Amino acid sequence: MAEDSFHLPGQPVILPKGPVPQLGDGVYQREGTIRASLVGIPRHEASTLTISRLRPHPPAPNSIVLGSVTRLSPLQALVSISVVDGVPLPPGEEFIGVIRTQDVRATEKDRVKISDCFRGGDVVKGLVISLGDARSYYITTARNDLGVTFATSEAGATMEPVSWQEMRCPKTGRIEKRKCAKPEGL
Amino acid sequence: MQSGFDRRRINGPEESFPPIFHDSDSEDNAPPPKKLPRKGRSPKDIRPIFLQPGLINQSNGSAYIETEKTKIACAVYGPRQSKNTAYSEHGRLNVEVKFAPFSCHRRKQPLRDAEDRSVAVAIHQALVSSVRLELFPKSTIDVFINIIEADGLEGCIASASVATSAALADAGIDLFGLVVSCSAAVVGDEIWLDPTEEEVQSSNGTMVLSTLPALNTMTSIWQNGRLSPSQVLEGIGICDEKCKDIHSIVAQAVRDHAVQQI
Repeated sequence: MAEDSFHLPGQPVILPKGPVPQLGDGVYQREGTIRASLVGIPRHEASTLTISRLRPHPPAPNSIVLGSVTRLSPLQALVSISVVDGVPLPPGEEFIGVIRTQDVRATEKDRVKISDCFRGGDVVKGLVISLGDARSYYITTARNDLGVTFATSEAGATMEPVSWQEMRCPKTGRIEKRKCAKPEGL
Repeated sequence: MQSGFDRRRINGPEESFPPIFHDSDSEDNAPPPKKLPRKGRSPKDIRPIFLQPGLINQSNGSAYIETEKTKIACAVYGPRQSKNTAYSEHGRLNVEVKFAPFSCHRRKQPLRDAEDRSVAVAIHQALVSSVRLELFPKSTIDVFINIIEADGLEGCIASASVATSAALADAGIDLFGLVVSCSAAVVGDEIWLDPTEEEVQSSNGTMVLSTLPALNTMTSIWQNGRLSPSQVLEGIGICDEKCKDIHSIVAQAVRDHAVQQI
């Protein structure tokens, strides 16, 4: 590992000659000098200069998050976010997210019933749409690949998706309603 | 009598007496006569620094600093979601300082008191402008500083600021630069860097300067006691010079730790 290329916060990043890159994560500009703000090696990805971080970070708009449903109400489902952009958060430091009825799916938004889409304990994959209010981040599942990825049936077995709004229990064969995420690789 | 009793802790006996030592140490306790050079070092010397980032596994980032008789452990948690606060565009930096009961000459109650808070505020001041809080909306970064042994409050603030900055870098939190602090005391006409408890007691006044050597800027000055403006300016100059030396130590420690982790 080239030790010289390691940058520390505040250290100027020396750029190769050519067009000035766009600044991504972990770098900033001050008085015309581009400097690192994280410990790491600056990398050029396309036209952006970034220092990638391996540590967990709070959700931001357009983050893909994973979380479990903690509370349901007729208007919204509360989600405890435990993975942000593929990086798990430390235990006990979950962020709270909210899926409102209008954010559950893209069509027939006015006929969504939260109880037919989520149950407590379901693992949901969602996209952060805004920072929300003081208490929670707003999450949407209005995309084919977003929604419930893991759920247990009333009999306690892990269910498998059969359509985008139904899941079947392999033990009893009963069908329960969920807003399913399209499984990856299908 | 029972007001100081806390059922949740192991309470010591009601009466206690300080141990009496029969060795050369007791002579050291007498305040040094003024106008004498400092014990074992020149006015511009600081105590040797040992800095080790990443000692506390559970935390997001941590650092331990030791300068002779000052020993401080610092842990950074977060960024985590702010609870019970209004919506804010910027993140918050929350600093808590705890003195170990055995950290000072007099035993400290294991409760938070005014001294902890004022030290915490001084450290917060030194650090807050170095953290890119605009990148952490709605979040809080918690910093817990445990002072295991203290030798001079000014030295504690300076060392704790340095350790916390290293811990923040270790935690992968965006910083404008590493904060480096240096303390000084004015004794007679001289300025002594990194004073010990004894030296502070015999001084007219003290100061702690915190800087970002990478950007050539200062983040805070904390002054205590009676100092003339010329002494303050001279002190700032000397501390600033020393901060650059300390910065190389801190940078090396942070870099070594980062390289080790990969």
